[in-house]
Amino acid sequence: MDKVRKPKNIFIEGAISPEKIAQSIANHSSKTEIGGHSIFLGQVRADQKENGAVIGIEYSAYAEMALEKAFEIREAIFEKYPLTCMHIYHSLGEVKTGELCLFVFTSSKHRKAAMDACEELVERIKAELPVWGKEILDSDEHVWKVNT
Amino acid sequence: MENQISVKAFGLVAEKIGMNDFQMDNPGNPARFKQQLFERFPELKPLKFTLAINKKLAAEQTEIPQGAEVALLPPFSGG
Repeated sequence: MDKVRKPKNIFIEGAISPEKIAQSIANHSSKTEIGGHSIFLGQVRADQKENGAVIGIEYSAYAEMALEKAFEIREAIFEKYPLTCMHIYHSLGEVKTGELCLFVFTSSKHRKAAMDACEELVERIKAELPVWGKEILDSDEHVWKVNT
Repeated sequence: MENQISVKAFGLVAEKIGMNDFQMDNPGNPARFKQQLFERFPELKPLKFTLAINKKLAAEQTEIPQGAEVALLPPFSGG
């Protein structure tokens, strides 16, 4: 029977823990048709802004729309590349500098599909998901993050 | 019959107007919506943002359906 994919939650409150990532990798050991994984991890950077240094990012989202969009992107990527698995996690709420805020994980039989799909996913997530990052500065001020 | 829409604001737009959501009479289309929005919140005029109607990005000529949810979306900055 074909597996019908449904929208699933991609949001995690706060930072994504390295333990979660390790566990997620371990969960694939039983899927022995996989020959390669590709992982992208987004980390909050301590940028120097005009009015202070970034100490964290507070993420907010239009969650219902973001989940619909993430599902649409997910289906399109599955259609385009021969993937075995795909996982997307994005933080909401506060994530401190040095902590992880985005985890994209693709797996395939051969490396190229996983690597290309992972890259395309990250680009599309950053460009198309209604998510906003408010960069909190050490001066108690904030600036709204701009994606480049 | 009453035709209200529910407006949701995010990011910098929500910060500027000091609210995350409010109700208003349905102006019918995005052009009239923006006109009324700028009358009520002139501080939004210089901001860059797009509209989503019922969670889909909206073109200017789209009709706003009865009871729609219209969202004000500043440039996305996830990841």
